[in-house]
Amino acid sequence: MSAFSDLLERLREIVFRRRRARELDEELRFHVERDAEERVRRGADPAEARRAAALALGGIEQTKESVWDARGVRPLLDLGADLRFCLRALRRSPGFTAVAVVTLALGIGASTAIFSVVDAVLLRALPYPSPQSIVRVWEHAPNGRRMNLAGPNFDDFQSQNDTFASLAVYGYEEASISGGSAPLRVNVAVVSGGFFHVLGVEPARGRAFAPDEQRPHGAPAVIVSHGYWLRYLGGKSDLSGFRLAMEGVVYSVAGVMPEGFDFPAGVAAWIPRELEPELSGRTAHNWRGLGRLRDGVTVAQARANLGAIARRIKDQYGKEVDLDDVAVVPLADAMVGDVRTALLTLLGAVGLLLLVACANVAGLLLARTAARRKELAVRAALGASRGRLVRQFLAESLSLSLAGGGLGILMAAWAVRILPAVLPTNLPRQREIAMNAPVLLFALAATVAVAVSLGLFAAWRAAAGDLQDALTAGSRSYSGGGASQRLRSFLVIGEIAVTLVILVGAGLLGHSFVRLVSTSPGFRHQDLITMEFSPPTPKWLTPEDQTDVARQIRLMDGILARLGAIPGAESVGLVGALPVAAGDDLADGDFLILDGQKPPADLEEFGRMSRNPSRVGHALYCVAGEAYFRTVGIPLVRGRMFGSQDDLDSPNVAVISQTLARERWPNQDPIGRVIEFGNMDGNLTPLTIVGIAGDVRARGLDLPPSPVIYVDYRQRGMHANSSPTVLVRTAAPLGEIVSAARGIFHDLAPDVPVKFSTFADEMGGWLSDRRFLLLLVALFAAAALGLAAVGLYGVVAFSVMRRTQEIGIRMALGAERGDVLRLVLGEGARMAAVGVVIGVAVSLAITRLMATLLFGVSATDPLTFGGVAALLCSVALLASYIPARRAMGLDPDTALRYE
Amino acid sequence: MVGEKSDLLPGTLEMLVLKALCLEPMHSWGIGQRLDQWSSDTFRVPQGSLYPALQRMLRKGWIRSKWRVTENNRRARYYSVTRAGRRQLEQQTAGWDRASAAIDGILGLRLSDATP
Repeated sequence: MSAFSDLLERLREIVFRRRRARELDEELRFHVERDAEERVRRGADPAEARRAAALALGGIEQTKESVWDARGVRPLLDLGADLRFCLRALRRSPGFTAVAVVTLALGIGASTAIFSVVDAVLLRALPYPSPQSIVRVWEHAPNGRRMNLAGPNFDDFQSQNDTFASLAVYGYEEASISGGSAPLRVNVAVVSGGFFHVLGVEPARGRAFAPDEQRPHGAPAVIVSHGYWLRYLGGKSDLSGFRLAMEGVVYSVAGVMPEGFDFPAGVAAWIPRELEPELSGRTAHNWRGLGRLRDGVTVAQARANLGAIARRIKDQYGKEVDLDDVAVVPLADAMVGDVRTALLTLLGAVGLLLLVACANVAGLLLARTAARRKELAVRAALGASRGRLVRQFLAESLSLSLAGGGLGILMAAWAVRILPAVLPTNLPRQREIAMNAPVLLFALAATVAVAVSLGLFAAWRAAAGDLQDALTAGSRSYSGGGASQRLRSFLVIGEIAVTLVILVGAGLLGHSFVRLVSTSPGFRHQDLITMEFSPPTPKWLTPEDQTDVARQIRLMDGILARLGAIPGAESVGLVGALPVAAGDDLADGDFLILDGQKPPADLEEFGRMSRNPSRVGHALYCVAGEAYFRTVGIPLVRGRMFGSQDDLDSPNVAVISQTLARERWPNQDPIGRVIEFGNMDGNLTPLTIVGIAGDVRARGLDLPPSPVIYVDYRQRGMHANSSPTVLVRTAAPLGEIVSAARGIFHDLAPDVPVKFSTFADEMGGWLSDRRFLLLLVALFAAAALGLAAVGLYGVVAFSVMRRTQEIGIRMALGAERGDVLRLVLGEGARMAAVGVVIGVAVSLAITRLMATLLFGVSATDPLTFGGVAALLCSVALLASYIPARRAMGLDPDTALRYE
Repeated sequence: MVGEKSDLLPGTLEMLVLKALCLEPMHSWGIGQRLDQWSSDTFRVPQGSLYPALQRMLRKGWIRSKWRVTENNRRARYYSVTRAGRRQLEQQTAGWDRASAAIDGILGLRLSDATP
């Protein structure tokens, strides 16, 4: 007989159980009557015959029970009864129920919310067809740096590879877009022909770019995002009437991307790269590479394929190029980058919090079981089987967990709604965070895990205690609770240990953060307005085309002079890249120490000469003006600054940072040395070191000061790899300076886009993800601390209640209030101490995993560990002090009589 | 009841009930009477265990039940054997025959045969 028909039959038994019960009654009545008749026929007394018949059956009620057992639906019917019973019981103690449900809800809700982030950022496949085939592509420099693709190199990669179904490049820039319902400053992506094919996404409305729109001087066309279309084009389905103007070019609207398409992130419009003829050289790394692998091609094969092409390019163009290989990385990995450790740390912290919450509820259940021992014993004596009692505990923990899980999911749904407002903006893929099936499944799994573990725990407790004992244990209400009190202490010790682990994590992050914030970057970043702009850059600087450089220098000098005249502007400087804020994007490379040697004639000779390590150094390359140092407050340590005598016609000079001087010329004087750093800007004129400037943590506050070589923009110009930025030190309101500056830029360089900001904001973005991580972990740590404190309080308070009589006797025998205080506090302190020791041991083992998130503190920082342990111990003492005070206030007379 | 004199081997009750029902559909009291009659005094069928056994057999689909009016004009639940029930009886009978033949063989051995 199949399992299915068996199940069906059982279901029928449940659905028709009333009718089945009636039928059974009737059948048994018939049996007894018929049997009695038979006995009467044989000569028995009629009244006696009925009794004998029932007796022969073995009791009517007993027979009924055994028939129900045989129907195999007993457990299900009982479960219903158990659930009803336990709901009644839970309603009778609303305080316990509320605390347990809210505790579990907090744990499950917080875990689910964090999981929704982990799911969106780390786990979920990218929202494109076969996303595992999409890769990012970089050029690889000989020094290991990844560089974006240069246009001509990309063209070679695209035409010569045989591993990509499609290869594309894209870039994006801020642009003003008008022609919709309102003008807007947005990010616009410039994409090559294969871009949408790589991602496998087509416009949802309208069409893709036509061939005529993807050739030099073709018809300008734009594809807009769903959001832009809704807000600024009124969501109209007829796109033919729209003309959008961007940076002086008028585009027709070809199509609208589907809702949710967001690549590159935050872009409102896409325009074809091919409209502008590409004139830049093979070292202008302007384009981000993106490709879709052919079916069955691995990332390694694609890398080998493009790497071979890269080496061919190098062989063919030699001195003109600076690549020697490529890097190919799956898009999902490239987007996530180093967020992984931070997110996993968060998930770990919240998982531990859930553990503490569970332990707390388990402690509550234990206390409740202890208080209900007599009730349970009575029920056992009245014939409830042990299995039945165990089932009741299961039902209770199940309903608590389900209620907690349900409430937790609601809390998580709310958290997911407000997350976008608090998440650091540089977290990738955060728009995809949602309460979806996998997240709900996680919440469900967490709830079921909690329910099962709590249920098993409760059942084990119920089965372990000898209930008969409780009945005979005398009239003392709580005398039977010794074993469960011990178990509760173990739970609290566990809670304290886990809490300590979270606290240590939060402490280490907090300590790192304080270190970071208090680290001097080597300059003053307050009260600085930044204006990043893109002047027309000379394509490839050689001594011959200095007219280009001269024009650029004149433009920048003009702008600086006018900006300096704005009322309230204290000083104005120019630099090629902002330290800290630009972080990883700063240019660095090897330089040659010439010292009398002839400078290389071209980059090829530069390469040969750089093979001699005794004549090579490594530094960041930074173009700056003399005023930059004054404006941001980098001091001159020795020698001289750039001066008015340094111009295009005079010998080129350089200022180096203290770190470089110390590292490369230990115990020597670098001033007067001649170096060659032309590989950075293509200008092979040698540089003479004239001064040493103070150190700057240019790569980021969490890294040591970098070696830097500063060159004068009046001699070298701003090359393609710089993002020229004007810094204005001022105490005046931002708005006044910016509106004045906007006018000046408009006068002198109307085509040049400018991005206004403050240095603090530019740096702050860099800290925001750390701040967010710290905030959340600290929040979880605080929640765990609160739960552990409540758990400890519960155990100590219960213990005081149990020992009321004992305390009374002690006091009657002359114990002082101080002795009682020590007695009670000692109990709490012992648990805290054991928990702290275990927690420290565990923390020592696992904080190493978050080493990459730390700055200036080791993963086993004794100060943090000590501080956290002290904090936890004082909270534990405070939690035990409340019941201790109650114990001290006991009147010995009452206490002795206490039952 | 249990342990009194019901030496009925476990599992044989169902076999006997099937056998009884093969002859004619009967109500439960009738089945009990029939089994008592068959057993004479060798073993006794505990009346109380008949009902759970019938319930199990219903669930397994070996028998089905129907309410009918008895010869004395009373409503009673009559049980009858299904095809599956008959197959089950055949299998159990065959199994019983094999087992009892084997046991007979062992018990029939003389002591001298058993010693090596």
